[in-house]
Amino acid sequence: MADPSPLTSDEFSRLAEFLYRRTGMVFTEAKRYYVERRISERMSATSSRSFTDYFAHLRGEERREVEELINAFTVNETYFYREDHQLTCLTTDLLDERVRAKRPGDTIRIWSAPCSTGEEPYSIAIWLLENWKDVDAYDIEIVGSDIDTDVLEAAAEGIFRKRALMRLSPELIARYFYELDDERWRILDDLRQSVRFSRVNLIDTKQTRPQGRFDVIFCRNVLIYFDDESRRIAAENLYDNLLPGGFICLGHTESMSRISPLFEVCRYSGAIVYRKPLELRA
Amino acid sequence: MTDGARKRILIVDDAALVRTYYRSALEARGFEVEEALNGLEGLDKILLQSFDLAIVDINMPQMDGFTFLRALRSKELPVSAIPVLVTSTEAGPQDMAAARSAGANYYLVKPIKQEALAEYAAIFCGAHR
Repeated sequence: MADPSPLTSDEFSRLAEFLYRRTGMVFTEAKRYYVERRISERMSATSSRSFTDYFAHLRGEERREVEELINAFTVNETYFYREDHQLTCLTTDLLDERVRAKRPGDTIRIWSAPCSTGEEPYSIAIWLLENWKDVDAYDIEIVGSDIDTDVLEAAAEGIFRKRALMRLSPELIARYFYELDDERWRILDDLRQSVRFSRVNLIDTKQTRPQGRFDVIFCRNVLIYFDDESRRIAAENLYDNLLPGGFICLGHTESMSRISPLFEVCRYSGAIVYRKPLELRA
Repeated sequence: MTDGARKRILIVDDAALVRTYYRSALEARGFEVEEALNGLEGLDKILLQSFDLAIVDINMPQMDGFTFLRALRSKELPVSAIPVLVTSTEAGPQDMAAARSAGANYYLVKPIKQEALAEYAAIFCGAHR
């Protein structure tokens, strides 16, 4: 790819403002390289000659381009079994811990937020089928949420391309997907039904609260895009959405300790996760 | 082909993940699998199609496994005698007794290993040699 086209600081701040209003994500000058790479991709995809051209295109009637732009900034690198050390941790440590106070038949709730086009919540479902011996003994509820209604629609459709499936063995693909054509696979209907999708903005308590409380939340690679204030609100919302003793898994580059003092750090062999304390501190 | 060739099994369970889990165990063994989401749907399917075995959960909305079994066994049709494996998270003797008196052939307590489920299925639908 050609070198990213440099943005003037005025252009950069106009774009950052645009993205912030649309998504709540904050892009500071520190993320300039990241922003420029994506903008340069979108500019060449739309044959824009300059940033001004592109921005005009974006602010015109091009709703599709707004989505493409947001996608370029949000849905980077998503595929099945991403960061599977956390999935391992889920079935070797977290769930066993959670079921200690439950009995067979009880509900286990798992939240994937943001869930993008469904790779993560479906990965959780497949991982549980393959790796958790108690998978049929509990009423497992998996919820996938995202701010973007288009990705939610795609998630519910459950159609994926080769790239999204690259980490799955041919056996897993054969077991849980059927081939639509050379390029696309659709996940089994039962798996589609095993995940409920809902639109949620993590910094809006009115939207997070109705999701109820979860045993485990996967909230990977989204808090890094928020500013301190949004990040704190999101962390507090997530805390509210956890059952006492419930776990939250962040992306491997993220740390809750730097965001909120509410959570305990739990170090397992495969992953560091955060936990809502069982008893409220005085 | 394996020893389960061409035998048809109906899974009746309201949990989509559980159906997928049992289905993949049974298909791996060569069974043909059909699904129903509750007792009512199960009854409809079993009366209209032909199966060698039904694997039925107990706690389900609309019609639970006990009601399904009693309704099935009370009909004076050839299909009423189909073998039924009950799967349940309840492990108490009174639950097992209730299932037996409702007409279950066998009672499996969840969690059930996939290999074990396939093995019991083979035995109860006469595919075992």
